[in-house]
Amino acid sequence: MASQSQVLVEVKSSVRILTLNRPKQLNALCFNMISRLLQLFLAYEKDPSVKLVILKGQGRAFCAGGDVPPVVNNIVQGKWRLGADFFRDQYTLNYVMATYSKPQVSILNGIVMGAGAGVSIHGRFRIATENTVFAMPETALGLFPDVGASYFLSRLPGYFGEYVGLTGARLDGAEMLACGLATHFVLSSSLDALEADLCKVGTSDPSFVSTILDAYTHHPYLKQKSAYYRLDVIDRCFSRRTVEEIISALEREATQEPDDWILTTIRALKKSSPSSLKISLRSIREGRLQGVGQCLIREYRMVCHVMKGDLSKDLVEGCRAILIDKDRNPKWKPKRLEDMKDNMVDQYFERVEEEERWEDLKLSPRNNLRASKIAAKL
Amino acid sequence: MSENVELRRAHIIANHILRSPPPSSNPSLTPEVCFQYSPPELNESYGFEVKEMRKLLDGHNLEERDWLYGLMMQSNLFNPKQRGGQIFVSPDYNQTMEQQRQISMKRILYLLEKGVFQGWLTETGPEAELKKFALYEVCGIYDYSLSAKLGVHFLLWGNAVKFFGTKRHHEKWLKYTEDYVVNGCFAMTELGHGTNVRGIETVTTYDPTTEEFVINTPCESAQKYWIGEAANHANHAIVISQLSMNGTNQGIHVFIAQIRDHDGNTCPNVRIADCGHKIGLNGVDNGRIWFDNLRIPRENLLNSVADVLADGKYVSSIKDPDQRFGAFLAPLTSGRVTIASSAIYSAKLGLAVAIRYSLSRRAFSVAANGPEVLLLDYPSHQRRLLPLLAKTYAMSFAVNDLKMIYVKRTPETNKAIHVVSSGFKAVLTWHNMRTLQECREAVGGQGLKTENRVGHLKGEYDVQTTFEGDNNVLMQLVSKALFAEYVSCKKRNKPFKGLGLEHMNSPRPVLPTQLTSSTLRCSQFQKSVFCLRERDLLERFTSEVAELQGRGESREFLFLLNHQLSEDLSKAFTEKAILQTVLDAEAKLPPGSVKDVLGLVRSMYALISLEEDPSLLRYGHLSRDNVGDVRKEVSKLCGELRPHALALVASFGIPDAFLSPIAFNWVEANAWSSL
Repeated sequence: MASQSQVLVEVKSSVRILTLNRPKQLNALCFNMISRLLQLFLAYEKDPSVKLVILKGQGRAFCAGGDVPPVVNNIVQGKWRLGADFFRDQYTLNYVMATYSKPQVSILNGIVMGAGAGVSIHGRFRIATENTVFAMPETALGLFPDVGASYFLSRLPGYFGEYVGLTGARLDGAEMLACGLATHFVLSSSLDALEADLCKVGTSDPSFVSTILDAYTHHPYLKQKSAYYRLDVIDRCFSRRTVEEIISALEREATQEPDDWILTTIRALKKSSPSSLKISLRSIREGRLQGVGQCLIREYRMVCHVMKGDLSKDLVEGCRAILIDKDRNPKWKPKRLEDMKDNMVDQYFERVEEEERWEDLKLSPRNNLRASKIAAKL
Repeated sequence: MSENVELRRAHIIANHILRSPPPSSNPSLTPEVCFQYSPPELNESYGFEVKEMRKLLDGHNLEERDWLYGLMMQSNLFNPKQRGGQIFVSPDYNQTMEQQRQISMKRILYLLEKGVFQGWLTETGPEAELKKFALYEVCGIYDYSLSAKLGVHFLLWGNAVKFFGTKRHHEKWLKYTEDYVVNGCFAMTELGHGTNVRGIETVTTYDPTTEEFVINTPCESAQKYWIGEAANHANHAIVISQLSMNGTNQGIHVFIAQIRDHDGNTCPNVRIADCGHKIGLNGVDNGRIWFDNLRIPRENLLNSVADVLADGKYVSSIKDPDQRFGAFLAPLTSGRVTIASSAIYSAKLGLAVAIRYSLSRRAFSVAANGPEVLLLDYPSHQRRLLPLLAKTYAMSFAVNDLKMIYVKRTPETNKAIHVVSSGFKAVLTWHNMRTLQECREAVGGQGLKTENRVGHLKGEYDVQTTFEGDNNVLMQLVSKALFAEYVSCKKRNKPFKGLGLEHMNSPRPVLPTQLTSSTLRCSQFQKSVFCLRERDLLERFTSEVAELQGRGESREFLFLLNHQLSEDLSKAFTEKAILQTVLDAEAKLPPGSVKDVLGLVRSMYALISLEEDPSLLRYGHLSRDNVGDVRKEVSKLCGELRPHALALVASFGIPDAFLSPIAFNWVEANAWSSL
């Protein structure tokens, strides 16, 4: 079966090493992989002989996102409900990971984007390396940062999460560690040794895992031009109540002291889908006040509205422009931020009415309701 | 079996004495001794859409509220603390008074920088006012000192400039106020005169030679007292004073005086002292002020109602000093509105914490050796908390309604706003104090810890019962207004209109003698009882007063004499007004689970109000059997509301971080490993 080879399983005493294995597609998560991961994670939780789960990727990516083109195909053919099944299973997997009773160690040695963040950041330990490239690029695709991103982005220091979620800015391993998206930084040359050491763990007590990881931890320097050094500007601008106000705050900063970083940030916002930006900001803001389960339930409603396309078809257009035609020139509708009214934004957060047998995402109660500590160092 | 229990108890006692773990040789004992925290969400399900209910309760500006909650959570100024694996934000009340005052000011400046107060004075219209109310309410959920300081600056100082001042004042002060270029306070209360504003003793005269007013504190009882922000931060003050023109007292007038320079030094001819440490609200710098021939420019008289011309001629658009006084006090209604609404948010906070705790804390077993029982599964615990929950819901609708009338006010609605806001302010703040006390007891010893908020809030909110009008005086004001309305309608032989008295035009309702469960829950019946009670008390009150007035006694004296009836009447009026707002809200809802649950809540509100009021029995509206049936129904409703308890408090929309550790995993929050 394809899903068997797409997720490789290694059994090392009480540790299970899962490898995402679709290197040509940069390990983009397809429906089969999600189902397989969900099945494995649930089985390992019940199995007392399993103490620790390691998740990593084959090749130069950990996971570059969800496998969106088939979903867009479904939408175009009028079968968005098939896409809804994809997201339902994916978000359920995110929830299981966020509330997992055993430690999950994700080795992020390469690209981590969108869905890739969803299967790693919720876990207890996230290892970044010098090869890590992280981003939540959804607003440029006509989507919004989902997979529980409204939970973990909103818990980053200050308004860094709004910045990362709205602009799709790329972070390297050092930046991930600084903001708390990663819990450890290990040089890729030490990964094999680290893995071997982790396989000796005979307990699910995270403090033991922590001790092992600490021994391999490297202290990276933030690059000089890191956005993390701009946290003051980010806090001043991205704390504003609306997307319009965020952009005008950035423009004010730019007139006072023009620099590449601010201009790039403004450009990224202006290129993104207006409807995506607005629902993303609202989602992160609500997420800050909600538990991870509530976040995923809300995101499921939102993604269903996005696929249904009653208010905007930006997802299809974004995928056309970025993934299919690759002209990088999406024609967003609504075109301008001011055309995306509050009451239109509101609708993304309502239940999907007038849709037969549509149901809210149902997450079964779990004992370990407390999601792992994002940005635990704060 | 019983031996097992005894053994366990013996171990626990031994453990207390020896401070050593119980012997592990008997493994069967260990799991029973250990209490595992289980989140209420695991066992309780939501029977209705919580988000929809929250929309009804918060009423408006949900997105702005969430934005502000987030602003506070993202800043270290708001003292985030990790407890039991979660972040909580709450002020450090163990700081000294001075530190608390300074940090309150820093928090305000942080929120200012984020644009929270944008438009609070410079924008007008219902939308802007509602947004301001929403953000103000959220500040109060974090810390009442924070909102009290904002209230002084924006609602007292700012609104005084806005409402009493004219264009020249607006242009000069409003934007500066909004940007905190000036920091204002409101000097009205004096040591000798509080709620009785008319009696204040500060005197201002006019000097036409220099075109200045001269303000004086003639005696110690005239010192300004409790003036928020005066002790440290304010540099300008609204001064409420008698205006004496050529020996004629023109009554209360409103002036602007600078009290500190830009470096924070007290101005010449002004003396300021601290009010000292208080039982709560120590983040607010209350001070006392004396004026010694303080001279201010003529333009500093806020002249919307009356003015003094350069030559010293006094002019006023309102001839009658009494009416003039009334016009001066009108802006204080906005203070009452916000006090009433913040009281309800405080009650919500207390209930959310106490009810969540009662859904995870167990105590005592019903059967020997049986599992310990969840606190909220005890009918007595339900009876303590759930009626207060229902009242909080009802009052939530009431205060939303009041806010709506206020923001859409017209000269015609001013009287109604004045009366209704007085009654609501008194009843809602009393309700909050009672609720907090019950919640504090309901969580046991944990209620003593400041970090758990419920107990501490009592000190913080206690002031609400007396500031901006003593509750008892406000309630008398309500019955006096009803009296006046009654007499005027009867005299002119006109039907009742306004203040919700229209029911007096219809025949007196007749209550059924037998009260079944379905009768008791019927909204029509509930309304009839509340109307009947109000009508009867109003008639009794007016006839008592009228009868004695006929014998030559003064009306004021008779009001005092009949204070018992007056109290019953104002309470009946306010409770009926509250019930009406719930019925109105319910009527607007489409059929569904939210409406059904709200129906239960409304019945609980109505019936608990009846159960608690002896006047129904005293005046024979309900029989002894009737009140017995009401009581039974309250108990039944407790059982029916119990499954909704968690969802009902979740609908308050207060983020977890603003509740307290006992509302969540209090075992982990208190674990040795968390030290």
